[in-house]
Amino acid sequence: MYQYDVIDSEIIADRVGEFRHQVARRLAGELNEDQFKPLRLRNGLYLQLHAYMLRIAIPYGALNAVKLRKLAQVARVYDKGYGHITTRTNIQFHWIKLGDAPDILASLAEAELHAIQTSGNCIRNVTADPYAGATAEEVDDPRVWAEAIRQWSTFHPEFSWLPRKFKIAVTASAKDRTAARTHDIGLALRRGRDGSLGFEVMVGGGLGRSPYMGVTIREHLPVGRLLSYLEAVLRVYNRLGRRDNNNKARIKILVAQLGAEEFARQVEAEWVLIDGAQVDLPDVELARIRGFFAPGGLETLPPVSPAFEAAKAASPALARFARNNVHPHKTAGYAIVDISLKAIGETPGDITADQMDALAALAERYSADDVRVTHEQNLVLPHVKLDDLSALHAGLAAVGLASPNINLISDIIACPGLDYCALANARAIPIAQAIAERFAEPELAEKIGELKIKISGCINACGHHHVGHIGILGVDKKGEEFYQLTLGGSGAEDAEVGKILGPAVPANRVASAVDDLVEVYLRERRDGERFLDTYRRTGLQPFKDAVYVAAH
Amino acid sequence: MNVLTANRLIDGEVVFWAHGRWVERFGEAERFEGDDTGGQAEAHAKNQTTVVVEPYLIEISETGGGYAPVVYRERLRALGPTNILQHGKQAEGGADIEVIAQASGSAHSGGRINLIKRK
Repeated sequence: MYQYDVIDSEIIADRVGEFRHQVARRLAGELNEDQFKPLRLRNGLYLQLHAYMLRIAIPYGALNAVKLRKLAQVARVYDKGYGHITTRTNIQFHWIKLGDAPDILASLAEAELHAIQTSGNCIRNVTADPYAGATAEEVDDPRVWAEAIRQWSTFHPEFSWLPRKFKIAVTASAKDRTAARTHDIGLALRRGRDGSLGFEVMVGGGLGRSPYMGVTIREHLPVGRLLSYLEAVLRVYNRLGRRDNNNKARIKILVAQLGAEEFARQVEAEWVLIDGAQVDLPDVELARIRGFFAPGGLETLPPVSPAFEAAKAASPALARFARNNVHPHKTAGYAIVDISLKAIGETPGDITADQMDALAALAERYSADDVRVTHEQNLVLPHVKLDDLSALHAGLAAVGLASPNINLISDIIACPGLDYCALANARAIPIAQAIAERFAEPELAEKIGELKIKISGCINACGHHHVGHIGILGVDKKGEEFYQLTLGGSGAEDAEVGKILGPAVPANRVASAVDDLVEVYLRERRDGERFLDTYRRTGLQPFKDAVYVAAH
Repeated sequence: MNVLTANRLIDGEVVFWAHGRWVERFGEAERFEGDDTGGQAEAHAKNQTTVVVEPYLIEISETGGGYAPVVYRERLRALGPTNILQHGKQAEGGADIEVIAQASGSAHSGGRINLIKRK
């Protein structure tokens, strides 16, 4: 994991001191709310329905035991004993007091944690493949580049007041676990025909009110030129992006209006004006950063673990966990373990302080002190010996973290919704809980297979509903909660915006409507088809008929 | 019938206006009826910039032997999140909480008064 240098530490310490002073001035009346609000937002502090919410950055989703224990401490001392993992791989606390916020940030800084780039119209916390450094699919470690982008983007003076927020994701695998095409910039590391590493650069993706999938404006950007090229993209956006209408200010609107070709042309024209030597990452610095992510400490092991195979044969629960939550590692004898934060009946993405502490101990013992956060509101232990899987499973089960449902129907993304969020029109959490409970039977969930349900409580789409295989959007119909269903979305490498199924349904009809959709799928599916594949073959109509005929 | 609400600056707690002070329970809030729509209290509250953030009037109605905000969002603010019933004001219980929890339906408007300012 990247370790702060003196500059990083000083930046964070200065920031805490500055915010402490700003809070004091606000409480003394020297700053009014209009003046203070943008300052607190720049420090991740929102005012929501019941209290302040503090959003803490987890750069490219990387955690370790020290950070987890710090988050657990903050949860206990300053919140109500839990945190909520977001679709931007951050963590937020929902019961924060303004008066405590400076002390919390000072405490977080002790573990190299902060709330910078979690709000405001800047380049936000960069996300990366949660399997980075562990999967054999990748052509390079995306964390190296994500960290370089973090250093370049943090407090970048030119890009601190963009027309709107700006989100970047980095992946290095053909299978996209970052939802790259839903980002303002998605970067996919690829190897060229000549063997050189380059980035496919996708721009103009985004969800929210106007969903767009990013379009590729460069197939193979030499990796060494990444930062100057990003700078060129940001400059064009900063100059031409709309500032008169918040709903049209994201780069996706600009790219759609100019057309990808013209946008790319302008980026190239800007790029030649930039002195790459001043902006691009020097090889020495790249090597320094890369050193923090060097694989180390993994043993040479046989590819099969007799102990694990025997334990699986003896325990159906472990076998089920292995089928759904354990994925291949690039090193023989190791596995990547996904930890679901979607226990049936619980709030998607919530993790208690006790669970954080337990996970910290398990990560130290079984996963080289390495934990990742996924944009699907789950966690990953990336380096687990096959020999240790049985013990790890028992350790996870003991604290309620062994739900064997990764990528299944109950592995639902849900934003906090109207239960917490001041922007929401409707609740998302109880809808997710109702669906998960309806499909709680693990055999049924496995029979249905991969099915990604994503729920947002408003059009801002923090719950990624546009790219759910089944997407659910909460709307306010005359002050009451209704839900619009979309089908066929995907945030993966086959990214696509879902299509609206029909009129919105009331809250108590959502779970049964999902049931109707699943029945159509089970009836219509052919060998090996996922829900999404069947939908793509049959189209909307059979699903529509089932939900709306049943509704009458 | 209206009630004046806000979030308290120091901790974000949902508060309600009651005869010159802020209280945490909806049941203790001052109800503005008839000619008194709460406008004066709202104007006063807007000057309390180091005490509360963004005070605004909400519509309430008589229901189930008590009073409750007309709109679901405001009932939720007066109670707490529905996913953890031990959190928020609902944890304290009481007859006034019970009335809000049992209230249903909603007005045709957002239930928030003066949200769209008249020119």
